[in-house]
Amino acid sequence: MILNLDLASEVPLYQQLRDRIVEAIAEGVLTEGSPLPPIRALAADFGINFHTVNKAYDLLRQQGLIRLNRKTGAVVTSTVADAPFREDWTARARTLLAEAVARGLPADEVLTTCHSLLASFRTGHSGGTP
Amino acid sequence: MTVAIALSSVLSALVLVLALVLPSVSSPTVPFGVRVPAQRTADPTVVRQTRIYRWRVLGSGILAAGIGVVMFSVTGEPLLLPMSVLLLVGAWYGCFFLANHEIRAAKAAGGWYEGLRQGIAVDTELRTDPPRFPWLWLAPALVIVVVTAVIGLIRYPSIPETFAVHYGANGLPDRMAAKSVGTAFSLVFVQAGLTALLAGIAAAVFRGRPDLDPARPAASARWHRRYISLSAKALLGLAAMIDLALLGSSLLMWTGTVASWAPLVVVLPILTAVVVAVVVLARNNRERFEGEPETGLTHRDDDRYWRGGVLYLNREDHALLVPRRFGLGWTLNLGNPRSAILLAGVVAFIGLVITLRFGA
Repeated sequence: MILNLDLASEVPLYQQLRDRIVEAIAEGVLTEGSPLPPIRALAADFGINFHTVNKAYDLLRQQGLIRLNRKTGAVVTSTVADAPFREDWTARARTLLAEAVARGLPADEVLTTCHSLLASFRTGHSGGTP
Repeated sequence: MTVAIALSSVLSALVLVLALVLPSVSSPTVPFGVRVPAQRTADPTVVRQTRIYRWRVLGSGILAAGIGVVMFSVTGEPLLLPMSVLLLVGAWYGCFFLANHEIRAAKAAGGWYEGLRQGIAVDTELRTDPPRFPWLWLAPALVIVVVTAVIGLIRYPSIPETFAVHYGANGLPDRMAAKSVGTAFSLVFVQAGLTALLAGIAAAVFRGRPDLDPARPAASARWHRRYISLSAKALLGLAAMIDLALLGSSLLMWTGTVASWAPLVVVLPILTAVVVAVVVLARNNRERFEGEPETGLTHRDDDRYWRGGVLYLNREDHALLVPRRFGLGWTLNLGNPRSAILLAGVVAFIGLVITLRFGA
């Protein structure tokens, strides 16, 4: 899996890292049981701080997307969307859609984009941010 | 004497060819050790500096050869000939630095990085599914070391109580030593040490950090896998050929053979291996992109970590080895404390070799 970090972006590096991994899970590049590199190795490969990668992995662990284990390292887990997640996700989707409407994006275009994005994720399980 | 002349000539030629070829085999986005965006690789400054650099290198080569010839004809001392190789390397760095300086100036003046999105790319599969280390390539070196040790053990009783351990450039012995395990097997220890060192470097290269192009990361990652595998094989092959040379040298030492061709036993295998390794690495040094769409990111400008264009010093970077920007293979991150330990180890090893060979 290729991870690209944009240094010019306003999105913090740990957030970018977390987003890229979530997208890879949605796209099926990472599946249940797929290993992720150890935190130290990934930080060294990026040439970024250990804590940045640690923070990204910690976020993914809290969201139930990966399991951190002393022996096996970081591994992608299967997860089921529970009620709190659905609520939280809907709230964030609402904000994102509101942005589209506020900026004058036609509803048709928004729907088409949503459809094509969902179609680009091979497996349909929830897990990606819209 | 003839061997010294031939050796210096071949080495000079190798350095010269490498110096002339390097701009064509180094990454086009790092001309003369200056990171430039992809759309600036054919900038008039870069093109002009490449041309000037080649003329300068050629001129330095002729000058160094001339100085070598004059020094030899005046002093008649063949040991001075390798100095002309060093002179050429020094002049080469001068040519490189001038080009580096000009391109850096043009980059700063033209604001080449303005408005570009700089990024970093990593291929996680290099860690979760690393390429297999070519262990089989280590076998020839190990076999040669064992064979040398076994022949030594068999021959040990027949070695005279004092024997020649060093030969002058004319092939005649110029240093004798009393027989002991340390003196008789000195080259076997060198074999073992060098094999361990080169295998260690190969392993470090294998685990080293790739420098992927964020514009085309997938093709870049594929190239990296191929390149580290080739590099490891080249290093292990080099170890085997050095061991072979030392086997030959040990045989000469144990049998007390004195011949004018004796230095060739050492020089030929090592020189051949070096030339082959350099050619193989040079041919594969540049990434080839097979139609991967660009991501829109540019490699980040990391010039400030490169001192003099060639020495990498970055304390925040935990990597020990990083790909060289100008040249083949890898270089140490001097900002990493482990580099100091490694350098000390190499110096200690060379010291040990010198004491073993030349010590009382």
